Amino acid sequence: MPRLVMFYGRECPHCKKMLPLVDKLEQETPARIERLEVWHDEKNADLMRSYREAIAPKCGNQLRVPTFINTDTKDAACGEVDYEKLKDWALKQV
Amino acid sequence: MKKRYWRCYVCNDVHYGIAPPELCPTCKVLHAYVEISAEEARKILGGGPDTALSREDFRAAIERFAVGNEFEVNPDAAKVDLLLTGIFENEKNHGFKYCPCRLRTKDWEEDLKLICPCNFPIHETYKGVKDGECWCGLFVRRK
Repeated sequence: MPRLVMFYGRECPHCKKMLPLVDKLEQETPARIERLEVWHDEKNADLMRSYREAIAPKCGNQLRVPTFINTDTKDAACGEVDYEKLKDWALKQV
Repeated sequence: MKKRYWRCYVCNDVHYGIAPPELCPTCKVLHAYVEISAEEARKILGGGPDTALSREDFRAAIERFAVGNEFEVNPDAAKVDLLLTGIFENEKNHGFKYCPCRLRTKDWEEDLKLICPCNFPIHETYKGVKDGECWCGLFVRRK
């Protein structure tokens, strides 16, 4: 099973909307996504920075949150999306 | 081109940019700026009044900033409240009012682009988008 990570910010409204969708996804599918907060946890922030080359081209050339990444393949998705789109991305990874 | 510091010889306004303003915005004197060192600029600014900007002050400042522009502060009060919390947390923890919806890179110059308000009108989430907004949603295109 690949390691799927969601990088999020505690005070990011888009992330706040996506977190319950990730909960739902985990209830309904085999996908598991690790949630890592990046503005209040420097270790998580450094991990996100380490994937900059994979994330930035999908995120307006920046490190934006929320970002979802498969740390094995470096496939990244960025921003607030609806549940179906999140599910498509996640199921493509597992 | 590298940005440098400039001082108005009449009223001591300090400007940081590649060129000085032609007209001093404070005393309205023409061609009043002379280049100074970073150290002199820091001394002038550091010795000035300690103008703290509370959360309410900042909220009022961005409302004034939006007046006359094609965007406004998001009418969604709960969203704005959450964002202001993040912006002030970031200032406390990381030194600047960084956008809570992007991560700083640790490159000083690069991270200046993340200070709120950022130059969002050039971003793909706003430019040419009918219901455009900045990445975090603090500013939205005026209806």
